[in-house]
Amino acid sequence: MPKPESAKPTRREILKAGGLGLLTVTLGGQWVHLSPAEAQAAGAPLAVFTPEEAATLAALGERLVPGSWKAGVLPFVDYQLAAAPEDCMLMIQYLGVDPPFTPFYRTGLGALDAAAQARHQSPFAKLEDAPAEELIAAMAEGKLENWAGPPSPFFYFVLRNDACDVMYGTEKGFAALGVHYAAHIRPPSEWGEIS
Amino acid sequence: MSELPNEKIDAVIVGSGAAGSHFAARLAQAGKRVAILEAGPARPKDELVSSMLWARRLKGGGAPVLETGKGTVGNGFNAGRGVGGSTMHHYAVWPRLHENDFRVKSLYGRSRDWPIAYADLQPYYDRVQEECGISGDHLAETTRPPGSPYPMPPVPVSVQGRVVAQGFAAMGMKVSPIPLAVNSRSYKGRPSCLWDGWCDAGCPIGALANAQTIHLPQAEAAGATIHPDTEVVRVLTSADGKRVTGVEAMTKDGRRVRVMADVVVVAAFTIQSPRLLLASATPQHPEGLANSSGNLGRFVTTHGAAPIFGLHPKVTTPAFGAFGGQLLNQEHYDDKNAHASSGAFGSYQWMIANALKPNGLLGIAPTRPDLRGPALTKFMEQASEHMITMTGVTEDEALAENRITLSPRKDALGVPLASVDYTPAKASMALWDAAIAEGLEVFRAAGTSEAWNAPRAPMHIMGGTVMGTSATDSVTNSYGQTHDLPNLFVGGAGLFPTSGGVNPTFTVHALAARSSEYLVKNWDSVIG
Repeated sequence: MPKPESAKPTRREILKAGGLGLLTVTLGGQWVHLSPAEAQAAGAPLAVFTPEEAATLAALGERLVPGSWKAGVLPFVDYQLAAAPEDCMLMIQYLGVDPPFTPFYRTGLGALDAAAQARHQSPFAKLEDAPAEELIAAMAEGKLENWAGPPSPFFYFVLRNDACDVMYGTEKGFAALGVHYAAHIRPPSEWGEIS
Repeated sequence: MSELPNEKIDAVIVGSGAAGSHFAARLAQAGKRVAILEAGPARPKDELVSSMLWARRLKGGGAPVLETGKGTVGNGFNAGRGVGGSTMHHYAVWPRLHENDFRVKSLYGRSRDWPIAYADLQPYYDRVQEECGISGDHLAETTRPPGSPYPMPPVPVSVQGRVVAQGFAAMGMKVSPIPLAVNSRSYKGRPSCLWDGWCDAGCPIGALANAQTIHLPQAEAAGATIHPDTEVVRVLTSADGKRVTGVEAMTKDGRRVRVMADVVVVAAFTIQSPRLLLASATPQHPEGLANSSGNLGRFVTTHGAAPIFGLHPKVTTPAFGAFGGQLLNQEHYDDKNAHASSGAFGSYQWMIANALKPNGLLGIAPTRPDLRGPALTKFMEQASEHMITMTGVTEDEALAENRITLSPRKDALGVPLASVDYTPAKASMALWDAAIAEGLEVFRAAGTSEAWNAPRAPMHIMGGTVMGTSATDSVTNSYGQTHDLPNLFVGGAGLFPTSGGVNPTFTVHALAARSSEYLVKNWDSVIG
């Protein structure tokens, strides 16, 4: 459950919470720490993405990695993009892309939605299984016409890894695969309750 | 955190990784006043959270490195940011270079020669090995050059290691325990490894030899000071341009400070060290410091990683063990022309049975980027129980045109960004192809139901500040002392004239041990 905090957190507390994979947000006028999955459930406000981008990212994440929507791929990516580049835990930070990373995501999501509109006169998030998979396959192979984002196979690779991070990179994700997490230092809670 | 020194000190060291920490320990223990300036933040051990996401904070960061060639060197993945540098996320695979690695030009007419032979470095390998601890078996590792026995027994071998070993055996090839600077038993007050496979996230228990485990504590105990979040932007020189006098740095709170010293050691990793020297140009050194040869920034190499994956009928529990692997094969290492018929040149080795976590760039999920949706779910369930892997470390021919230069773009502190123009030699690409073909054959022989590989990826970065015998074609002498400025030293894998086909950190330490010993013995003449 979200843990209410009585006072506005300091920058260090926010950084620390972010470092633990938590989001620090205002809900109902109270500062709270949420794990990405909790933020997803609570419909927490997003710092970076527009509602359209958010819908596209969540849908793409879920189609690439089933379960990642519920695991919180959207608030996870949104929060990490809002963090300072040196605090960012997204894989993109060591894939040779200059920070800030938001334009990479924004243009990629926009290009995917534009491709869905061009082919099917529908936002990507509302596509049925078959046309969505067809678009993703074309994106993965760099075969989408008029693609106006980062190289589409690379965008696919990055988004797929973000979704895998949220789905499989947590204690809960390891457990779902039957892999003992065996931490020296645990990432507190699913992603973490501040203790 | 210590205050930066106000008065002139004996030595200022740029960077707190393998080379910088080693220099700092030896100089401070010799009674020198030493300060280490580290661009990145402090990395307290209790923040080394076991997570492939947290692990990313230890890498890259800092000013972007631009890449303009057909290949990449992957600074973001290979570099380290924070106290301890890249050693904080290194996997401590510590093989030695071989005798032929030091004479590639003489023996084969390609790449370069080192200004020293294996025999010159052997005593320092032995000394570092005793100090830091290596687990291994020097007799079983029949390809290892001469030297002392490893001080600790080999690391344990799991089902994953055993099945890959069977594949090698079926092809008539031998494996040995891999030499790892990871404790297989307690060593010099540091505990044994638990083999839970979190090396990439930094080792909070001190079982893995890195800068924070070994040399930074020694340096501090001997009086050296470490200054995180202090980014050196310029190496300063005397008015006549004949000596370096210290460094200029920016602190995190935006102060521009100077630390003056009799000796400057630049050990800021392979890309940032030449960047700093190039950006420190003066009227007397218009092309950058220590660049009268014109070779500063040149001969950049990177090992082409050759990752092999397979699914095996046995349960292999790949999440555990050491990230660096359990076993080693250097079958063809000593014949750099073993694959010449396909145009390949160079040596390579296999690091066998690396720990594999489900996520992360070196984890299970990215190995099959073609899988998504329910097929990915099924694969993840199967692979997290049955996957096996090994990684080839393939040599890269040293080419003058593979170089680091300054970009017209500047970072927030006004220092030009480094730009790397790197395109691997055809012979290096062919060597990678040969290694991949062999690796897949080994995995099929091991009884995998499926075997596949990842694309060539840059692993380790070397060159750019190469050592040599002549001031006309190299940046430093064999001690890392620059030919042009006698009190300016360079540390790190940037000194390597050739890459070899083994992991560089052990050699970085051996060179730093030799350089720092020379510096202490010749202090008066060095500082002039």
